[in-house]
Amino acid sequence: MARPTARITLIEVVLGLGMLAVLVRAAELQLVEGGKWRAEAEQARQERRVLEARRGGIYDRNGVPLAVTQEYFHVGIAPNELRDLPGDGKVVARALGMPLPSVMRDLRTKKWVAYRGPFSGLQIQPLREIRGVHLDGEFARHAPSGSLASAVIGALKPDSAKGASGIELALNDVLTGTPGLAVLLKDRAGRRYDSPSRLQREPVPGKDVYLTIDAELQEIAERALDEAMTRYEASGGDIVILDPHTGELLALASRKTVDGRLVANRATFFTDPFEPGSTAKLFTAAGLLARQRVKPGDAVPVTDGQLVMQVNSRGATRTITDAHKTNGNITLAEAIKISSNVAMALFSSRLTAVEQFESLRDFGFGSPTGVEFPSETRGVLRMPDKWDGYSKASIAMGYEIQVTPVQLATAYASIANDGILLTPTLVKEIRSPGGRVEYAHQPEPVRRAVSPAVAHTLRDYLRSVLEEGGTAEGARLSNYSLAGKTGTAVKAVGKGYVQGRYTASFAAIFPADDPQLVVVVKIDDPRGAHYGGETAAPLTRSMLEEALAARQSAIDRLRLVEPAGAEPGVAAGAPRPVEREEPPEQRTVVVLPVSSAQPARTRTLVPGVAGGSIRRAANALHRRGFRVAVYGHGKVTRTTPAAGDSASVGSLVSVWAE
Amino acid sequence: MLWLVVFLVVAVVVQARQTSAIATAGRYRKLREERTALEAERAALERQIHIATSRRVLGERAEKELGLIQPADSQFTVFPLDPAPR
Repeated sequence: MARPTARITLIEVVLGLGMLAVLVRAAELQLVEGGKWRAEAEQARQERRVLEARRGGIYDRNGVPLAVTQEYFHVGIAPNELRDLPGDGKVVARALGMPLPSVMRDLRTKKWVAYRGPFSGLQIQPLREIRGVHLDGEFARHAPSGSLASAVIGALKPDSAKGASGIELALNDVLTGTPGLAVLLKDRAGRRYDSPSRLQREPVPGKDVYLTIDAELQEIAERALDEAMTRYEASGGDIVILDPHTGELLALASRKTVDGRLVANRATFFTDPFEPGSTAKLFTAAGLLARQRVKPGDAVPVTDGQLVMQVNSRGATRTITDAHKTNGNITLAEAIKISSNVAMALFSSRLTAVEQFESLRDFGFGSPTGVEFPSETRGVLRMPDKWDGYSKASIAMGYEIQVTPVQLATAYASIANDGILLTPTLVKEIRSPGGRVEYAHQPEPVRRAVSPAVAHTLRDYLRSVLEEGGTAEGARLSNYSLAGKTGTAVKAVGKGYVQGRYTASFAAIFPADDPQLVVVVKIDDPRGAHYGGETAAPLTRSMLEEALAARQSAIDRLRLVEPAGAEPGVAAGAPRPVEREEPPEQRTVVVLPVSSAQPARTRTLVPGVAGGSIRRAANALHRRGFRVAVYGHGKVTRTTPAAGDSASVGSLVSVWAE
Repeated sequence: MLWLVVFLVVAVVVQARQTSAIATAGRYRKLREERTALEAERAALERQIHIATSRRVLGERAEKELGLIQPADSQFTVFPLDPAPR
């Protein structure tokens, strides 16, 4: 047997080793594996939860809500947790608007009852205090104004809060907020507790978008279009109303028959181009006036309203006829007034194909307008080298060219705006959740399409259309002047035109002297009356009358009231006869923007456009007010002056491409 | 002994703070729920008001029941108001 000292030493060593082992293990747990165990402990006590951010709202220009996000709920019930099943069942049935027998049957037979709803916060409020009722909230989009402007607003993807179409898609990044993060506390039973001190990041709501749409005018347009669809048994139609001085789209209505069903949520005013017919005659007239190819007294013969035109060297001919027949010689002004196809075909021969193309292109045809909409089409304007011998006459009559209703309205707006083409817009303001204005729309000039004198002459032509003998005589207002142009185009189906099917249209400027609105109305396949002057033009008049009488509308009625010193009884915008035909002016480039609200900029930076397409480069340069000369084909390699250099607005920028 | 007293005091303070935080969070949740319900009520009322006052509903009722006719532009006059304060 060992000595006591040795035994004690042995025990001490064993104890020492034991303590060392404990220390080592403690060190291992705390130092080496500490992070892992801490995380596990936190996971057992806490739960991270992403707090969804509320999507920004979409409002009209006056703050009328069009699309807002609201919290909705799905309801789950565990019947075995209910304290008073019959009583709770009654509350559930009443709150959710469901039949009591059905709810009671569910509660008695199922272990878990799920009502997906979604139910509003108001509906589920009585259920909050009932034990056994579990609420699952989520944000969902809600349209307080019903289907108003639904084609513009668009929709969200069904399985997420991301925009799928319309403004919801175009401004998705602006409307989407930043999610927050919170940590909930959990007890041993798994019950969760909110704790403000555990809020790690507040959710930041998305920004609110204020559209240029005027809800009152939008409602007038939608109602008018519905009535027209019924009255004319039409297959579709579009109405566009915009402010010519700002490019703000005030109302956009569309109806289209899809699979035999009339739908209102297609943005056909941006996406469906059509052959405008006579409403496009004005733009060939603009080309003739701008290039001084027509003098005030110039007239062409329109014998019996019929013209047999040779279209190629082999002797092939096409016959052009007028719907409103007349005899003798008529001027360009009269050709617009009575919408003479023959006269326009004859006048168009004074322009080369390139000149006519350039004239139409200057008004924005063949290019997207640049509006903030995700699916805008550019329409169809073929390059002049693709035109045949009949194309010039055909395009002068509004065929072989396709435009969207918004393009047509934008082009007419440039005439109302003394020749300056503006980019149309749908977004007036973007505001932070706190209400601070972060973006406010300013008019964006694209280019000068025609000189002010030519624009003035064209407005006189348009005014004459509503005078006695004009094609829209019946659409005339009594106290206010209206200028406009009718169009009745035979519809193209497949590769040919179908007689008996028409697109009736009317483009108007109101009032003619101090324009506030440009209105484009298009009706597809009207039955019975099919001329634009019999269908679209009266519709425009009734809309304007309704807007004038409306409690609130985008029309500035004070500007319509006679100014001091005016002839008594005559309103500022009252019709006046066309006294003279303005001599055509030499086309000039002016400094843009020309607006009293915006001081003219003398110099601006040339944007970087290298690497992109010529079209994109030209668009970017035109937007800054430059003229553009292109050398070469393909991708842009450089510009003169170079990108980043400043140059005078209105000066020429050469674009080199390879 | 002192360390035990200090530990107890700290533990009581922590516990009180946690209890208060949880109670505040509960009140906050209730207020949020109330706000959600009120927002839903407001949205529902706004929608009802919009539909009831829309041209589609109100205009048609006025036309049918009261014989309202849409005035032509010659049937009303716009009076400029004196901008000076009265």
